[in-house]
Amino acid sequence: MNARALIALAVADFRERVRRPAYAATLLAAVGLACLAVPSAASHWTILDVGGYRGVYTSAWIGTATALAGALWLTTGGFYVVRDAIGRDERTGVGRLLAATSLSTPAYLLGKFLSNFLVLASMAGVLALTAPLMQLARGESFAVDPVALLVPFAVMTLPPLALTAAAAVLFETVPLLRSGVGNVVWFGVSMAFMMAGQGPHAPLGGFGVRQAADSMRVAMADQGISVRSRDFSLGLTMVDEPLRTFRWDGFTPDGAFLGGRLLFFVLALALALLPALWFGRFDPARRLLGAPAEGVQAGSAHGAAAAAEGAQAAGSAHGAAGPAAAEPQVPALFGGVPASAARRGRAFPFWRLLAGELRILAQGVSRWWWLAAAAVTVAGFVTPEPTMLLPVAWIWPVLIWSRLGTQRVEHGLDGLLGAYPTPSRGLLAEWAAGVVFTAVTGVAPLVRMAVAADWPGVGAWTGGAILVPSLALALGVACRTHRVFQVVYLVVWYLAVNGVAAVDYMGVVRSGGSPAGLSALAVAAVALLLVGVALAVRTARHATR
Amino acid sequence: MNRTPLQGTPTLELEHVTKVYKGGKRAVDAVSLRLGAGLLGLLGPNGAGKSSLMRIAATVTRPTSGKILFDGTDVVSRPNALREVLGYLPQDFGVYPHLSAREFLSYLAAVKGLSARSARRRIEELLELVNLTEAGRRPLGKYSGGMLRRVGIAQALLADPKVLIVDEPTAGLDPEERVRFRTLLSDLAEDRVVLLSTHIVSDIESVASDIAIVARGRLLRRGAPEELLREVDGQVWETVAGPAEVAALRERYVISRTVRTADGVRLRLLSATPPGGGAVRVTPDLEDVYLAVVNGSAGQSLRQAGAGAGR
Repeated sequence: MNARALIALAVADFRERVRRPAYAATLLAAVGLACLAVPSAASHWTILDVGGYRGVYTSAWIGTATALAGALWLTTGGFYVVRDAIGRDERTGVGRLLAATSLSTPAYLLGKFLSNFLVLASMAGVLALTAPLMQLARGESFAVDPVALLVPFAVMTLPPLALTAAAAVLFETVPLLRSGVGNVVWFGVSMAFMMAGQGPHAPLGGFGVRQAADSMRVAMADQGISVRSRDFSLGLTMVDEPLRTFRWDGFTPDGAFLGGRLLFFVLALALALLPALWFGRFDPARRLLGAPAEGVQAGSAHGAAAAAEGAQAAGSAHGAAGPAAAEPQVPALFGGVPASAARRGRAFPFWRLLAGELRILAQGVSRWWWLAAAAVTVAGFVTPEPTMLLPVAWIWPVLIWSRLGTQRVEHGLDGLLGAYPTPSRGLLAEWAAGVVFTAVTGVAPLVRMAVAADWPGVGAWTGGAILVPSLALALGVACRTHRVFQVVYLVVWYLAVNGVAAVDYMGVVRSGGSPAGLSALAVAAVALLLVGVALAVRTARHATR
Repeated sequence: MNRTPLQGTPTLELEHVTKVYKGGKRAVDAVSLRLGAGLLGLLGPNGAGKSSLMRIAATVTRPTSGKILFDGTDVVSRPNALREVLGYLPQDFGVYPHLSAREFLSYLAAVKGLSARSARRRIEELLELVNLTEAGRRPLGKYSGGMLRRVGIAQALLADPKVLIVDEPTAGLDPEERVRFRTLLSDLAEDRVVLLSTHIVSDIESVASDIAIVARGRLLRRGAPEELLREVDGQVWETVAGPAEVAALRERYVISRTVRTADGVRLRLLSATPPGGGAVRVTPDLEDVYLAVVNGSAGQSLRQAGAGAGR
């Protein structure tokens, strides 16, 4: 394996990413996370809570708190930041150039892993740089100890981030996980890891919480604070009273702990190299043309052609043959000027445009998807509670919704449609298609609530049916990627399903038989605001084109 | 300048159009063009600013300064006035890969506001025209590059445009398709504004009655082919040189063609004065004109003729 090539690959990929505007946003998010990890003394929000206590804001405490917050959230969120390294090579065609060089597949995968890790490590680096500033800002201790600040990042944050970097490579090489399904799967996997990683018996020491917690309890006991039934809590929580303080000067990691940390890197390397067994090196002939369009199909005519060309066993001179097609030689083309008239209707054909947008929204969705959606709908008619299956019905289409607002960019149609009249109508038709789609997938609870005259429930359902596609459209238009909606929606849905009424957009959190969440009117108002945002962003982009 | 269009004859005017991208790159520099019915071939090297100019003319990109008028209406502020009668084929464009050609065109017809009946007829006719009737039900993701290009041509003609802007349209077409497409453009140009950009001289010389040459964002020349040819008349030479002399000739002259023969290397070069060495004067073609203008090696007469550019 050529180390120079490997490093060159990783550095080039890293440069390409950090020069995108989105990278600045991820660094800002890291700064925000550092602020969140060190709340003010009077705050009721906390990330690290030892049974009602926290450490005085010394370098050791702030370093550990921000490092653990980074480990916790960057592990989950960082995946979505870095998961496009191989997909981008495929889209831009760089992958095919690399495939024709002597660069080995393991070296390529390792290069992508390193690049992923560099991006994540740079985010952790921003956390580490923000930490001393937060220490000085909070003003409880002005003795900045760089070692106490930085060691937690090295032993707590970086090891799980290595796993995230490797998982991103792995996911991109598995056809099913490469699509939006991978985003959903990772959300589940990382949630499970987040829970398990904090436990006392977490594999490989998890986030390293146990060693820190043990040391904190010892410090508390030394300071005469009872440690009995004082649980260690990591994660954003709200407490009734601001936390009391104790002095903690950090912990010294032992050999076993460091060995466990090292194993994270070994495991990450193995995970990143595993796809060498099946990775196709961008050979279009090994691509599934029937797979979902996301990240597989072309973003441009040339790309689509390349994809098609690769899949074509034998194309005629006129290119009329598809894969495995054997059609007769085509006759002459461009036979003359079209004679039929192109008449505009008296009214704008909104319904046909809506039908077209529905077709585009649902393009390429497999019959298995529809079958599962139909099963959920049928089951929704027979459950004891009308809204019991609504969360399932409204998580299943998450990958379809995430196409809203992104498809014309993703498939390279911006230039073409930019010369078409009245772009706002197209956007409204796209939104309407999203609403229709949402309504169809959640029709069973609606019918049952209407039959039972549960009008508050019907109202909440209506608000949700409008909100979800509006959120998808706004995020899709603003961010031009599926991922942001997929992650945001998963988090909101997860909170709603877990009974957080404040974000219940479906009306599933009930109190006294009625929806306990936001009023339907408020949800609808937010939805319309989001549509307005989408419209404004697209109009502004058009104005500054 | 007369701004009153003739009855039924569309006019598209670009007045001092400039486009400066973020970072200061001046892609289009004070270009003025007036287009009536007919085909204007926009010729220029890669990176000359042709595509930027085409996007500006098609209302996709907003110029940094300057005006674009369609039948007297400012389409920078009111783009729909042009978009409703425009057919635009960008150099690079995408498709929805799971839609068939028929579905895709049907969607675009709805965006254009065509009536259902009219759209149906028009799509069938266009699919036949570009010979995709058989493939019309197959997902676009399975089309070859040439087939996609033909879908692009069909969508540009969908609403029977008065103005047709096609950017490097023959990329991906085979030689026979190129010839037929050029003929189609020529036929369409009878009563429409057709703006065709390319860096391939042969795409233009057989159909364009009007040629504009651009480089480094500027309009360098505009004229009928015979006018442009006259400007380099007597400045094109052919000579046979030994391999050792070729490098020296390359340094001194713009070489438009090189052919290795048994007697040596036969070179076609541009020079205002006889280059010596037994060179014989030959009849210029458009490729010579193009190279002379782009490389700035033509005589003073050419530069003076440039004063007429943008008429």
